[in-house]
Amino acid sequence: MSCQLKVKERDGVINPIFTCQPAGAQFASIGVKDCIGIVHGGQGCVMFVRLLISQHFKESFEIASSSVHEDGAVFGATNRVEEAVDVLLSRYPDVKVIPIITTCSTEIIGDDIDGVINKLEDELLAEKFAGREVHLVPVHTPSFVGSMISGYDVAVLAFVKKFAKKSEPTDKINVITGWVNPGDVTEIKSILKDMDIDATVLFEIESFDAPIMPTGNSVGHGETTIQDLQGTANAKGTIVLNRYEGGKAATFLEKKFKVPSVVSQTPIGIRNTDSFVHNLKEMTGKPIPESLVYKRGVALDAIADISHMFLAEKRVAIYGAPDMVIGLAEFCLDLEMKPVLLLLGDDNGGYAKDPRIKALQENVDYDMEIVTNADFWELENRIKNEGLELDLILGHSKGRFISMEYNIPMVRVGFPTFDRAGLYNYPIVGYGGAKWLAEQMANALFTDMEYKKNKEWLLNVW
Amino acid sequence: MPLHEFDCSKVIPERKQHAVVKGREEDLTSCLPKGYLNTIPGSISERGCAYCGAKHVIGTPMKDVIHISHGPVGCTYDTWQTKRYLSDNNNFQLKYTFASDVKEKHIVFGADKLLKSNIIDAFKAFPDIKRMTVYQTCATALIGDDIEAICDDVMEEMPDVDIFVCNSPGFAGPSQSAGHHKINIAWVNNKVGTVEPEITSDYVINYVGEYNIQGDQEIMQDYFKRMGIQILSTFTGNGSYDDLRGMHRAHLNVLECARSAEYICDELRARYGIPRMDIDGFGFKALAGSLKKIGLFFGIEDRAQAIIDEEVARWQPELDWYKERLKGKKLCLWPGGSKLWHWAHTLEEDLGIRIVSVYTKFGHQGDMEKGISRCSEGALAIDDPNELETLEVMEKLKPDLILTGKRPGEVAKKVRVPYLNAHAYHNGPYKGFEGWVRFARDIYNAIYSPLHQLAFTDISKDDFATDKGFMTRRMISDVDLDDEVKNNTELREYTGGFDSVSKLHDREYPEFESQSAPAAAE
Repeated sequence: MSCQLKVKERDGVINPIFTCQPAGAQFASIGVKDCIGIVHGGQGCVMFVRLLISQHFKESFEIASSSVHEDGAVFGATNRVEEAVDVLLSRYPDVKVIPIITTCSTEIIGDDIDGVINKLEDELLAEKFAGREVHLVPVHTPSFVGSMISGYDVAVLAFVKKFAKKSEPTDKINVITGWVNPGDVTEIKSILKDMDIDATVLFEIESFDAPIMPTGNSVGHGETTIQDLQGTANAKGTIVLNRYEGGKAATFLEKKFKVPSVVSQTPIGIRNTDSFVHNLKEMTGKPIPESLVYKRGVALDAIADISHMFLAEKRVAIYGAPDMVIGLAEFCLDLEMKPVLLLLGDDNGGYAKDPRIKALQENVDYDMEIVTNADFWELENRIKNEGLELDLILGHSKGRFISMEYNIPMVRVGFPTFDRAGLYNYPIVGYGGAKWLAEQMANALFTDMEYKKNKEWLLNVW
Repeated sequence: MPLHEFDCSKVIPERKQHAVVKGREEDLTSCLPKGYLNTIPGSISERGCAYCGAKHVIGTPMKDVIHISHGPVGCTYDTWQTKRYLSDNNNFQLKYTFASDVKEKHIVFGADKLLKSNIIDAFKAFPDIKRMTVYQTCATALIGDDIEAICDDVMEEMPDVDIFVCNSPGFAGPSQSAGHHKINIAWVNNKVGTVEPEITSDYVINYVGEYNIQGDQEIMQDYFKRMGIQILSTFTGNGSYDDLRGMHRAHLNVLECARSAEYICDELRARYGIPRMDIDGFGFKALAGSLKKIGLFFGIEDRAQAIIDEEVARWQPELDWYKERLKGKKLCLWPGGSKLWHWAHTLEEDLGIRIVSVYTKFGHQGDMEKGISRCSEGALAIDDPNELETLEVMEKLKPDLILTGKRPGEVAKKVRVPYLNAHAYHNGPYKGFEGWVRFARDIYNAIYSPLHQLAFTDISKDDFATDKGFMTRRMISDVDLDDEVKNNTELREYTGGFDSVSKLHDREYPEFESQSAPAAAE
């Protein structure tokens, strides 16, 4: 009876769980207002990431490419960045922030992005765009390092580093959400509002679910402004919801500007949300209000109807973003379920030191495996060839075929969830998220019982 | 020259050479936009890369192959599960994708050993699959791994496997089109002629440039089989690796998407003397003409005609039901490459739709030549469009529908223009006679969506009707229709089901007596 943390033994990947770093940087970039990133590399690095994001949100977001072709790969392509910045600024008068996001190809050929940015600032911006506020932000995200998760982390750090500026201290706190859904942001903001906390929610994507309006062109965009980013240096503290998606920036703010940071438990589930609101209270001195006690109670009430009757003992595999996977596993344990396999899709050396993983290793009283640098074959092979029995899969849509192939019910969670409608509207964090998740899991099991006619009569009198 | 200058692109003067309006009595030589040039950085073009052109468009539809990309994981992830090319091999090629997962240490010290162990692991994981394609990516092209040598090594150690190498890194050319070219040539150079196929008919074709989107290939295969034609291989939708190694024995290459696959046809003509015949699988008139052309080539026009008669009798009344309701609608035809000329005239001929704009993301001037010649006066043709330009066009031309990709479709949605997925289709397949009716049905459903109308109402300002709890499509589409048409009992809406492909799997085909290859039939 043990919880083992292991690295995938095979080299290479059969069905990847994650894409590469530039995707994470691109996602962070669309959380910033008046910002269009330029991805310095081949066109596919942008075209497919834009498609991926639009598959998830059913929206389109603007990200540009420096369109590196063969000559650039041979002779260097910094001129492509110069041209791209010029063209972009000339045609998009509202753009103020342009992150230059590198890829594997331009990191290998060694294009000096920081040098180009200096040159552009001295020449193009000073001359052609004099008087216009423009910020160029270098974001180094070689695809052969880390994953989309670390790419998000690196980009958040790059933005904060670029803008954070010490002036008068404020009563605000910084909240770095990480790679979440609009539904999560709404939930977090509602907690902050309940506690009467003035917070800067960073890389804020709540309005990504944009409407069709009777006139005009209403597109979703990030809400985080340059002022928001500048002000991060003057905040009372920083709370990071996902340590691998924003932790670097929090550490930076702490070291450079003495802004204390709390890398919170990812607020998935009741217990982790309790920790989150406790951290908020500690940081701001604001009490936890009755309204949250009520919302927590509503969630507990809903969960009481399903947890020990239906969810207990159910064997779950969870994959995706590390903080989300860990948070879900913790919540599943609280729900009396058995997460038996956790798959983390990259090789971050920090996982072994993660206190949450250590706690699992010390306390889990059945066989659990946590595989890092994992791919989907780690899941499928165990089901197909090693007798792994599962009642439920939690993860994003790229794993949909495993669920279908082996008839295992699945709750879509994380990014991307392109094969289900509207999931981005719903939170998985906070008390509301806990309730929604537990209900989704129960409903998935119910549908499966009915579909397979497996004790479906249980629900006659529930 | 009727060049078109976009307001949003005035600051990039060279863009003016990339858009034209087809004017009255214009000669193609004066109204061709420039095409297939390097992309303008920062323009927010819709182009992809040469890797995706090779791997994602042409390579991966092959159904019995382990498709492994040698590079960091992103290229593989990003090109996985974003297409609808099916296969009768339980969709193996859709479900599984492989990457060597190159990391920093491999960039520094080389990734050849990594690739080799990957290849072996992949074959081990899927012991029934004996064929593989290895795709180079930007990273491994730049570090210079000798992929061929590694694969030769493996093939020596594992004699029952065969591996194809495709060197088409993302940066190799202005767009995905460069990748189409590279994989065409690599396949004909390295794999064609390495298997001797069994010939079972007097009439043997390769079906080329067909990617089995939602089952297109299976629809066309049905017609060919009914004509007694042997399909030696399909390049590449629903295609089998070993069948494609025997392409050199066909009597005719029947080519659909000339943009992505004319290269291999031209090489097969030069090297093996196999003629190339370009066809259209889309549209009643165009498809009928194509089937007749193939029949004529083999001297079996009667068989082609019999199919056309049967299919037209079955489906024309349904196509015409839609035609009556779609006549005069304005449509922007904004696909990737070949559909601009596959669809421009067919939509006009068969459905009376007006194509007000065509564009191509990665097409060449030849595609524009064909596309412009096939659409009507006044059409705006755009090469390598970008986001602002497409918004400007939608604003000015106010089309009733655009045919484009998923993400640009989301852009259109926000300016209240419905879209159909031109690459992956909505409810396809769209090839074949029934497929074309499905396409008409999808266009009708998009344009006459009762909710679409509501998108234009500003409830805070406008007067609007409150006397209705619903509208049907026909309450909108039939308002101005003649009673004669409305009451016509011959015409009917589409009567096929959700799945128009699976029924073909159990179909029995006529046996035609072979003149020259009786023994081979056994």
